[in-house]
Amino acid sequence: MTAQITAGLIGALLAGAILYLVRRDHLHGSYALWWLAVAAVILLLGVFPPVIDWLGRVTGINYPPVLPIIVGIGMILIRMLKMDIDRSQQERQLRRLTQKLAILEQELTEVRRTNGASRESLSRESAPAPADLPRVVERR
Amino acid sequence: MPSALFVLRSNASPSRLLAVIPARNEAGTVAAIVRGVIASVGCDVLVVSDASTDETAALAKAAGAAVIDLPCRLGAWGATQTGMRYAQRNRYGVVMTLDADGQHHPQELPALLAEQRRCGANVLIGTYAQRLSAAKRLAWRYFRLLTGIGVQDFTSGLRVYDRRAVRALASREASLLDYQDLGVLMLLRKKGLTLHETPTVMSPRYQGGSRVFSSWLMVSRYMLHTTVLCFAQLGVRRRIAVPKAGAANPS
Repeated sequence: MTAQITAGLIGALLAGAILYLVRRDHLHGSYALWWLAVAAVILLLGVFPPVIDWLGRVTGINYPPVLPIIVGIGMILIRMLKMDIDRSQQERQLRRLTQKLAILEQELTEVRRTNGASRESLSRESAPAPADLPRVVERR
Repeated sequence: MPSALFVLRSNASPSRLLAVIPARNEAGTVAAIVRGVIASVGCDVLVVSDASTDETAALAKAAGAAVIDLPCRLGAWGATQTGMRYAQRNRYGVVMTLDADGQHHPQELPALLAEQRRCGANVLIGTYAQRLSAAKRLAWRYFRLLTGIGVQDFTSGLRVYDRRAVRALASREASLLDYQDLGVLMLLRKKGLTLHETPTVMSPRYQGGSRVFSSWLMVSRYMLHTTVLCFAQLGVRRRIAVPKAGAANPS
């Protein structure tokens, strides 16, 4: 019975931690859903370890304790694969954003330069108050 | 007052040419290259500074180029693609790329452009077969076998792209590539564009070695990376006719 209490405690602790993080809004959207499911499974297996023996019997595995380990490792691998896919997607987005930012920055500099030049030549032609000019340019 | 943007975009024509020069810390050579291109071709020049930490951007600007300064390092292809996207945004018809380190001669460019117009290929690659080392020849033979793209020099940065090629290379699909080499060529082939290779003259790099062929570790990394890239593209393997260049490398 002590083993079951230990397992239950570990399960409850993990599930509680995940639930806490999800509720604190540290995890976004689909990640939160995934981790909530993980927390539910951990809690279930921790509190009711016989479920594992039952699953072993159903799937025909002679040594049931190995079942959660195998399934767990499989899930971790899938999760990591998904993470790398997401990271590649983010890398692509980051690169394109960086490029766009740099292109827009160049354009902005160009527009400012031509605008500043035309305003300067305009005010030089009419020349009402040369002392006022720098402040006008700055405010823009 | 007329906006500069309007002025930039109103004079679009299919043959407007932009020279894109990706540069990372090339302050020693970039100004001379920019002046050389302007003198020999007379087109607009764009230098994409790949987060340079030296005076590259300022010197290029002073030499008469438009300058895009990337806020963080994107690598050689990332910088070149920035140029492609700039060309698309500002309605340039043809993009020519060359390296900033002085190995490509600006006076060779008019001949290259004329060749591109003559053969009508979507992409023209300038190759200098004599510069290839034995290791590079072996590597390229391997990749020719793997991809079926019959190009002598896969990494030559001296290229002319037409509008269709620029559109293909400015796309999201091309954003995860790292070098202007096989990945780019395979993407172009997938889109059904034609390649043509022409011999030209290049000089050895004035400073610094090849980014790819600098050490054995880098080489094996590059070979592995590119092999994986080739396998990812195996499904679209379709032989395209690459017309034999006149004085092609016999090896």
